Amino acid sequence: MDLMDEMILEMRGICKSFPGVHALTDVHFDVRRGEVHALMGENGAGKSTLMKVLSGIYRKDAGTILFEGKEVEFHSPREALEAGIAIVHQELNLIGHLTVAQNLFIGREPVRGVMIRDNDMNAEARKLFARLGMDIDPKARMSSLTVAKQQMCEIAKAVSHNAKLIIFDEPTAALTEAEIEQLFALIRELRAGGCGLVYISHRMDEIKEITDRVTIMRDGRYIDTLITADSTKEEIISGMVGRVIYEDPKTESRCPSDAPVVLKVERLNAGKLVRDVSFELRKGEILGFAGLVGAGRTETLRALFGADPKQGGEIWIDGIKTEIRSPKDAVKAGISYLSEDRKRYGLMLQKGVAENTTMATLKQFLKGVFILKRKEKDAAEQYIGSLTIKTPGADEPVMNLSGGNQQKVVMAKWLLRDSSILIFDEPTRGIDVGAKQEIYELMNRLTEEGKSIIMISSELVEILRMSDRIIVMNEGRITGELDISDATQEKIMALATRRDGQKGGAA
Amino acid sequence: MKKTLIRSDAFQRLLLALVILAVYGFFYALSPAFRRYTTMAYICNNLYYILLIAIGVTFPLITGGTDLSMGTGLICYSLIGSWLMRICGWPLWTAMAATILMGVMIGTVNGFGIARLDIPPFIMTLGTMMFCRGMGSILTGGLSGTWPNYLEPGAGFRKAFRLILTTENGQRIPIPLGMVWMILILILMSFVLHHTRFGRYVISIGSNREALKLSGVNVVKWHILAYAVCGLFTGLAAVAYAGTFSNITPGEGAGFELNAIGAVIIGGTAMSGGSGSVFGTFLGVLLISVLQVGLPFIGLNADWQLLITGCILLGAVALDQIRGRKGA
Amino acid sequence: MKNGLKRFLNCKPVRAIGPNRVVLLCVMIFLCLLFQLFSALLNRGNAFLTYERAVSAVNYGYFIGFMALGATFVIATGGIDFSIGPVMFTAALISGYCFQRYNLPMGAALLLCPLIGMIFGCVGGFLVSYLRLPSFITSLGLMQIAKGIGSLFTKTQNVSWPAETDPGGWFRKLSNIRIPLENGRVFNLPTGLLILIAVAVLCAVILNTTRAGRYMVGIGSNREAVRLSGVDTRRWEMLAYVICGTLAGFAAIFYVGCYTTVIPGRGDTFNNEVIAACVMGGTSMSGGVASILGTLIGSLMIAIMQEGILSMGLSISFQYALTALILIAVVFADIAGRRRKN
Repeated sequence: MDLMDEMILEMRGICKSFPGVHALTDVHFDVRRGEVHALMGENGAGKSTLMKVLSGIYRKDAGTILFEGKEVEFHSPREALEAGIAIVHQELNLIGHLTVAQNLFIGREPVRGVMIRDNDMNAEARKLFARLGMDIDPKARMSSLTVAKQQMCEIAKAVSHNAKLIIFDEPTAALTEAEIEQLFALIRELRAGGCGLVYISHRMDEIKEITDRVTIMRDGRYIDTLITADSTKEEIISGMVGRVIYEDPKTESRCPSDAPVVLKVERLNAGKLVRDVSFELRKGEILGFAGLVGAGRTETLRALFGADPKQGGEIWIDGIKTEIRSPKDAVKAGISYLSEDRKRYGLMLQKGVAENTTMATLKQFLKGVFILKRKEKDAAEQYIGSLTIKTPGADEPVMNLSGGNQQKVVMAKWLLRDSSILIFDEPTRGIDVGAKQEIYELMNRLTEEGKSIIMISSELVEILRMSDRIIVMNEGRITGELDISDATQEKIMALATRRDGQKGGAA
Repeated sequence: MKKTLIRSDAFQRLLLALVILAVYGFFYALSPAFRRYTTMAYICNNLYYILLIAIGVTFPLITGGTDLSMGTGLICYSLIGSWLMRICGWPLWTAMAATILMGVMIGTVNGFGIARLDIPPFIMTLGTMMFCRGMGSILTGGLSGTWPNYLEPGAGFRKAFRLILTTENGQRIPIPLGMVWMILILILMSFVLHHTRFGRYVISIGSNREALKLSGVNVVKWHILAYAVCGLFTGLAAVAYAGTFSNITPGEGAGFELNAIGAVIIGGTAMSGGSGSVFGTFLGVLLISVLQVGLPFIGLNADWQLLITGCILLGAVALDQIRGRKGA
Repeated sequence: MKNGLKRFLNCKPVRAIGPNRVVLLCVMIFLCLLFQLFSALLNRGNAFLTYERAVSAVNYGYFIGFMALGATFVIATGGIDFSIGPVMFTAALISGYCFQRYNLPMGAALLLCPLIGMIFGCVGGFLVSYLRLPSFITSLGLMQIAKGIGSLFTKTQNVSWPAETDPGGWFRKLSNIRIPLENGRVFNLPTGLLILIAVAVLCAVILNTTRAGRYMVGIGSNREAVRLSGVDTRRWEMLAYVICGTLAGFAAIFYVGCYTTVIPGRGDTFNNEVIAACVMGGTSMSGGVASILGTLIGSLMIAIMQEGILSMGLSISFQYALTALILIAVVFADIAGRRRKN
């Protein structure tokens, strides 16, 4: 216990500015040995900037950093790593084409003359994995591993550098519940060994479970440090946003039971992850798709939308059998799809807000073959207002906007389309609490207008909060269906982990 | 299990080897003249410089870039080498060293522009390509060049590529000695690619440059080195070209590297970076050379060779696509 | 001085045209003055900045210009087309051969050129857009095929297009019209330039104000995002290649207007100048950014450079070297400017 009193890291009065922006103003942050310290804040609060200053990617303008009692300033991640500070990034920094062992020792390969001793590397890696209790083959190609295993490798890499302070940036975003448990077990072990650990995450439940203290940041400033065990979720959230938000689950379906069926899918088959999927969607309903990462939800909805080829299945829209072979068909039939990765699939980053907004509805803005740019700009400005998109103008390149605002542009694109069926795939991933609220309110407004929504989410809290009905998938099949009135996190989890052939009661 | 076998790189190379055998067999069956031993020697003779460029360009390709300056570069360097010997009176070995050195220099310039100044490889090497095209002609005044030939002093270096043995009854048998060097170089470069830090980092740059940088490796240095090595091979190819052909015409060369790149792709290196095989490159070059030499024997002239090579290239890429690999 | 430069680069008219293009124009003007100076110094008798010189220079720029305009579309979609030069050559070869040997009327031969280009464009577009083959390699393969077809069609013989005074030679009026004046001299009307500008305007209109242009540029920016927005990207991507091929074929008319004889098996040397023209003008190789005006300026600049270098009595090789340097300088300036903005 006395380990806990020793400070391994002290950051005092840290300031950092970029042209026109104060990213950090007088921030304090300290971590004790053998502690898991959460760093929380909305997107743009400055958490990742602070960590970048610590790890040497940025140079601070003012303030001091004491690591193990000595004042330090790192000029590169390499320096920080050698001193004992490692970051496990959200976007894993691994080289897919090399093997696990080669990745672990990249930059410090054991050499004999010019030749790299791969055998020695493999042996070292095996020893390391044994010590950490990880079941990974050092000779496997990195790209062949699951995301969870890759993350384990990244952590093992940090440990192999004898890191005394390890920073985790959104570590559980792509992990299943089982894998998260494994991660936590490892974190507890590292903590017991005297490591200081920084845990950056938006996930309240995890913060409550694994961390000892929580430091809250807002708008580049330090707000408070709380002891996790003594704080409530509301206290933490209100510290982050400056206002109170309630995250209670929905208690009953807002969709009338006699609402007509707008979408019916039967025996949809597409690859390994969509097997014999059948479901219905009612008018005005929010249908939540729950399940672990890799259960097949995105694949199912993409196959429905025509984005991926399918091997079988029938689709009825408003009772009429419809052929959907490409996104073009789907959009024509009245379906919109907001994909998971908005930067990769949703936006043309170099282009402006207006151009992105009209991409799905360009025909409406044509006169003959020419585009009516004035009309386009007006439409974009309308949505900039109604969705409160923070942008200097309708012509601003989308890549300059924050994540939440980029998501709003994607939404504007589909709202313009005025489809009756909307598919939201992880709509609030990587978005701060304030913007999340706005998106929830938008979804409710849409259903009140008579639109029907399918929402894929990996956050149980979000599923329970927004859905009228919940469909759970695992390994490509639907394992269960729950009405919101008798849905609980445990029931959903049970269905999400139920495997083929297992008997189990329905909702 | 079966699917992964078909998709594996080794399988593709095996397939390629079979195709080469099939094509060779095709020519063999159709043309008695083709069967002569000298044809084989001729194929080998023709492929040295292409093989050297192809091996050289494999490295930039693995980093996800490209080098378009090799063709005009090799002509430029060998022209300058010829000029040095003929006009300036330099001895053979010094001129040869200068030729190779020029390749390394321009390669380094390429690497510097690409790795340090962030100029896209396509543009940078397009620039050096045009520059070489101009430079070679300017210095030599637009005249063709030749390296020592026949009985001139210094012509002995050609023996390194093609050794001609005279038997008792006066028959002259050409021995493609150059192939020995090629095989040695292949083995060496394969080793470099898979077992040295240079090769490891080149693959990493193509796979995930940022990750390599964050691991503390001096990415710029190794990136430049990849292009410098490519330049080295261009210089070597210049020597090989001069050593196997008698005339070096200025203005030629544009297009050599495209053939070489095509051969590398056929051999299994993806343009997206991260993967590559020196042996595969060899097979790709071999296929193109066999075709180049064999087609005239069945009465099809060079135009048909262009057509067929083009179709094979498209076929190889389409096959890649079907097998689910990503290209450029 | 640095502040003054920054202020100049940021003022409204400069920003409207694009700082890239303005720099390019300045380089072009600088080169013209340089060539004028040199020709005066070297006293070759002909000054550089004369009308005749300009017309002669610009003559070379027509076919490069048309090809570059076409290439702009393909590069905008994020692709590359190495077959442009050979396709132009093949169009010139086949049409010329038909005129020569099969007595095809000149008008039909002129129409045949862009038609042949269009066919190649369709094939290339289909392979890249529908079969999803990478454009780099595909166009390499097509380049070989085009060269081969052109050469085989004419049985590896050269093809000559008629001179102005021969029957059918009227097609040269499309590049240049010579109007005899009273004092015995001849006035050259560069009709080719007018056609080039007209086509350029048409291309600019397509690229910037039509749905087709929006989709093509969008495909270059993020193909998947455009597809998932419900657009049939295959159709529009193929259109870019069809336009490129057609313009390459059309360029053939102006190539033979300039050079008369077409030698089979060549043509790939022009690819570099075409791509250089596009890139210098501000069209990005990664797709999503395109400028017709820039391409136009780039093409004309290359033409002027060639003329200027020839006027200095130097060999054409200098042009390659100079183009290379300017290309790298322009790209570097662009990247440096972008980095400073970040």
